[in-house]
Amino acid sequence: MASEHICIGVISGPYGVRGAVRIKSFTADPVDVAAYGDVSDESGKRHFTLTVTGTAKGAVRALIKGINDRDAAEALKGVKLFVPRTVLPVLAEEEYYYCDLVGLDAVLADGTPLGVIKAVQNYGAGDMIEIEEKGGNAIIIPFTRDAVPEVDFAGSRIVVTPPEELEGETEPPEGEENG
Amino acid sequence: MARSVWKGPFVDGFMLKKAEAAHQSGRSKSVIKIWSRRSTILPQFVGLTFGVYNGRKFIPVLVTENMIGHKFGEFAPSRTYYGHQADKKAKRA
Repeated sequence: MASEHICIGVISGPYGVRGAVRIKSFTADPVDVAAYGDVSDESGKRHFTLTVTGTAKGAVRALIKGINDRDAAEALKGVKLFVPRTVLPVLAEEEYYYCDLVGLDAVLADGTPLGVIKAVQNYGAGDMIEIEEKGGNAIIIPFTRDAVPEVDFAGSRIVVTPPEELEGETEPPEGEENG
Repeated sequence: MARSVWKGPFVDGFMLKKAEAAHQSGRSKSVIKIWSRRSTILPQFVGLTFGVYNGRKFIPVLVTENMIGHKFGEFAPSRTYYGHQADKKAKRA
């Protein structure tokens, strides 16, 4: 299951001379780094109030309350920014946060353990889950109702029905090598 | 330079055979393993799931209409980057 705090960005350096910082955002929409209220550092002892002022070279520009000069901003370089998992909005049906899925056990329909969800990826052809088997092998399964009929957070597991393969070959057949 | 239009889209011949066989067998939800990352996605592939080889493993690619004209390799990156999960969300299709 998800950890209590989620890393949503890291301060990559100062911006300008008035205490602004550049933040490398990990959120789906980069400017959402300030959308979940105050953020904290890894230890949870320091809290920051961010105000996003724009984007610059792939990073987000932001002002931090109480940071008014470049030296103070520079001192924050490398600080990771966290928010509690509880501040993330409730999703619609059939939508899941990556952070909730990663770490769940994957079992087959008959209860046979398959492995643990290592990552959720989307390369443009739909979401897919990467399951790491005990031996270290990874298998990738599309995140569809057919392949993943059940997501059980209470039981900390998902039920997986791997799609069958039309052809079981492990090497490209003659004539398909140069693809 | 772009490919000449008169040639039509490039697709390996065996891809068409595999797609046709999948349609005829009625097992369109099965994963069709392919190594041909260079083949263009054609309308007859829509609805099929291909396992596109990325050099290490087969990435499942469910072909939709929006993918027509792209290459299979575009949907199966050959370099892995895990990154942070943050607030990213997945939708079960």
